[in-house]
Amino acid sequence: MAVAYIASLFLVVVAFFIVRLVTILPIFRTYEKQSHVRQTQALLNKYKNFGGQLHVFVFLGSGGHTGELLIILKNYKNILLSSGNTIHVGYSDVDSYNKFKELAKSYDCKVKYYRFVKAREVGASKLTSIKSILMTLIKSFGYVFEIRQAMKNTPHLVLFNGPGTCCILALWFKLLELIFPFSSSSNIVYIESLARINSLSLTGKVLYWIADEFIVQWEELKEKLGDRVKYFGILV
Amino acid sequence: MVSSKTLFVTCGATVPFPQLVESLITLEFINCLILNGFNNLIVQFGKGYNDQFTKLLKNLGNVSFDQKLNSLDLNDIQCFANFKDNNSNKTLNIYGFDFLSDIQSVIKQNADLVISHAGTGSILDSLRLNKPLIVCVNTNLMDNHQQQIADKFASMNYVFSTKPTVDSLMNSLNASQSHTLDEFPSAHNTPFENFLIDVSLR
Repeated sequence: MAVAYIASLFLVVVAFFIVRLVTILPIFRTYEKQSHVRQTQALLNKYKNFGGQLHVFVFLGSGGHTGELLIILKNYKNILLSSGNTIHVGYSDVDSYNKFKELAKSYDCKVKYYRFVKAREVGASKLTSIKSILMTLIKSFGYVFEIRQAMKNTPHLVLFNGPGTCCILALWFKLLELIFPFSSSSNIVYIESLARINSLSLTGKVLYWIADEFIVQWEELKEKLGDRVKYFGILV
Repeated sequence: MVSSKTLFVTCGATVPFPQLVESLITLEFINCLILNGFNNLIVQFGKGYNDQFTKLLKNLGNVSFDQKLNSLDLNDIQCFANFKDNNSNKTLNIYGFDFLSDIQSVIKQNADLVISHAGTGSILDSLRLNKPLIVCVNTNLMDNHQQQIADKFASMNYVFSTKPTVDSLMNSLNASQSHTLDEFPSAHNTPFENFLIDVSLR
């Protein structure tokens, strides 16, 4: 008898997590045709109630990836860098760190830095890539856990633009979302690089299945990928 | 002080781009620059390329490395040379950097024309500062998306697209002096801003 109880309990738990998985993964969602007609004022009012409590996690990939994200942060500073916000900055090279530090001088945000190992060097061999990917996996889990804890019960955004490390980070975010069934959505917004006009980057191909929102910057890509992705024009 | 006209070249920080620098630091291209009225050339050549850059400068002949001729107020110069054209008696100051942490302000303050590798970061640095830009594609890279972005922007008349050869660079340089590019539109976008708010409140 006891076995039957345990077995049925087990099935319930499994079923619960399957349902949870279906609800948190964007591939199982249906996306409406993109409509911009949202009540701007209502939305702004709602946002103001939270005034400066927004937590933003950006991962500054290096070079062009860092450049694009920094421009996005600056362009949408009213929302992303408003005073009192907390910006969690993940980076893997000193240059990105310095650039963000320079930018942050002009704004009154709390900033937390997280140093990551690069998941894959441009042109690295397969073996070196595997080794560094494993290192990133382990180290990044702790960071993501910490960031998710900070984002609890407050408006939050995770902004990714690439490169490969973002896949691992997104995976951890989603895994934690799965493990803690009553936690909030990760709100991962992936913005495909401006360099991608006709096809997705490798990171884009992976995050297409994981990121909560997927943005492309060229109409050609939007047409190819359909309602799952959103297009607002060039953002950087 | 005499009026100054400056070409700024950036090869990017991530991957070296020797073909571009080797095509720039040639007598043909330098003369073309002088003919078009330039008297300063600033090159950000990438890490670990300093010795090679100095070698290219020496190969030009007619160069002096006298720091006193350095007329621009630039920090962290790795390499400085003054080239003198014997025919016209005109000179060109050449400044070399391996890496610049604040590339934008150097472009903003000095550049009249920019030649950049086709990385989006570097392309945007110039476009956002409304500087005329020649994009040079590194054909040795893993995939061809740099070619695509250069072609796309060139087709929209935001940039000139070129290849890392002396001829192609000279053609683009000449074109940039006679043809006007369109202004790159601002990227601020209210629907996207609302979208960010919307997502953050989920």
